[in-house]
Amino acid sequence: MIAALDALAVQRAKTGDLDALELVYRAYEGTVYALTRRICATAEDAEDALQETFLEICRSLPRYRGEGGGSLTAWIKRVAASKALMKIRRAKYRDADALHEESAPERRAEDVALRMDLESALQRLSDTARAVVWLHDVEGYTHEDIAEMTGRSVSFSKSQLSRAHARLRRWLDGEATC
Amino acid sequence: MLIHCTMDELTAVRDGEGSPGALRHLDNCQACRDELDRLHQRVAALKALPPARPPRDRWPLIRQQIQRDRRRRRWRTTGWISTAVAASLTLTVATIRFAPVPAAASDARSDYQELLARTQALEGLLRRLEPEQRVLTGRTASAVGDIEDRLMVLDARVSRAQRIPVATEDLVRMLRLRVELMDALVNLHTTRNTYVGF
Repeated sequence: MIAALDALAVQRAKTGDLDALELVYRAYEGTVYALTRRICATAEDAEDALQETFLEICRSLPRYRGEGGGSLTAWIKRVAASKALMKIRRAKYRDADALHEESAPERRAEDVALRMDLESALQRLSDTARAVVWLHDVEGYTHEDIAEMTGRSVSFSKSQLSRAHARLRRWLDGEATC
Repeated sequence: MLIHCTMDELTAVRDGEGSPGALRHLDNCQACRDELDRLHQRVAALKALPPARPPRDRWPLIRQQIQRDRRRRRWRTTGWISTAVAASLTLTVATIRFAPVPAAASDARSDYQELLARTQALEGLLRRLEPEQRVLTGRTASAVGDIEDRLMVLDARVSRAQRIPVATEDLVRMLRLRVELMDALVNLHTTRNTYVGF
């Protein structure tokens, strides 16, 4: 939930007023963290992405020319998504591939019996797949937006999304009939 | 044999980009329509997940970093002004050198040159200490900020002194003060570096 942030506070923040910048932070910290936490693998990375997002916002706000609270929100969320994606790119050594490519026995085991709640299933996806699912299905970014943010192709984003959904389907509901 | 829609096709249909073949198949296949419903439900469930809340308040760290960035920018500005002031002082000394001056003024000119060399040496020393790369404690940062502010005010006065006639003795006094401030700044950074073992 975004707390009320009046236009005057935004104008003051644009001049670099630290008290006004804190108001911007207080208004958006929840929104930004909710997004970075869904994309980043760990709470620590999500907190770092939150901090980097607001440092970027504090530096760039004087040059921000958008109008209306909606645009400011969209801009802040875009910065947050970029910072979180940067975090998972840096942590990519943790993922050997874009999706966790488990060995065959592991895959069979999950196909047979693994049922889990949505939160755990989402967390089980690779960082990249989770980011694509969240940005596309929840935040409403297009595959073109995601391709631009991740530096990959539109078809990469699409295939990540469908593969992630196939996995979520299997983990949550068992074997698909389709 | 009936070939069902793949997840690729279902996500494309969901996004309004389904192929005519997939759309035709969906019209005739209850299993695939159910699968598409599941996809919609899964996305609705994702949207309904409770938002995570930041476990700690990060604002104090962000505020500290912003202030540090600002000090760094201010230091770069101070350094630039100092260089400009040093250049203009050199020009003044050169002008004095070629003018006929009495003995007292000659002493002042000598002090002037010595102080100028000293302030330039201190600036070089400070650059080598790379103050902008260092993390400072709150107290040290405040002391550094205070000295940098005084240097900026002094440099502005020296700059003004180049545009209006000012006695060489006055310029020497300003330059002496500048050397003292630079000395204090270098000492602060040197002490800090020694303390942390750099």
